[in-house]
Amino acid sequence: MGQLANGPARFTDIAKPFDTALNSVTKHLKLLERAGLVERQKQGREVLISFRGEPLREVAGWMHEYERFWNERLDQFEQHFQKKKQKEKER
Amino acid sequence: MSEPKKTIEVRVERTIHAPADEVFDAWLDPKIPGNPWNIAEKLLLNPKIDGFFYWLIQGNAHYGRFTEMERPGRIQHTWMSRSTSGEESTVTVTFQKKGEDTLMTLVHSGLPDTDGGRGHDKGWNFFLDSFTKQFSQ
Repeated sequence: MGQLANGPARFTDIAKPFDTALNSVTKHLKLLERAGLVERQKQGREVLISFRGEPLREVAGWMHEYERFWNERLDQFEQHFQKKKQKEKER
Repeated sequence: MSEPKKTIEVRVERTIHAPADEVFDAWLDPKIPGNPWNIAEKLLLNPKIDGFFYWLIQGNAHYGRFTEMERPGRIQHTWMSRSTSGEESTVTVTFQKKGEDTLMTLVHSGLPDTDGGRGHDKGWNFFLDSFTKQFSQ
């Protein structure tokens, strides 16, 4: 998704950085396509994949600024206890 | 007679790997990362029933009064800020024993449902960030 945020990319370029079979990259992309988050276009022999932000934008529109705030706070709070537990284990 | 204002509620849950009394105390200790008090630019905090807090963050003042304090199960206080349009909202935090862990639930209710209160852009960034992280792992 990070790669697609900068614009459409070729399927082969998307798959390159991943250390997995092309099949599993195809599977991931199909899931994203089904969710309406990416679009495929054939250009000659190449397949171009582009990101569609609209479905995410709709969901994000429902997020209140306090929802974001409390989620960030509680994530950090949870992490504090995880680190504490980890330190206790290492002793 | 004016119509009652439409309000919304935000609910967040986390399972914390520690007993409830420890989590309860940490939530009220400004030295512990993750609770709101920890990131204050200026803080006056009196966590007892009818005790007040003043919390300044990024130049925005927040005020509140503690209305419930039941260690280790429940904390409730009011919350007023620019984002609540001067109205009193309510923050309720509960700590429930879950085996050796604690289920922490935070409910922020009575928030005005206004365009100003909704953070479209912020929410959008947050959502995309976490979404991207999921796929980069």
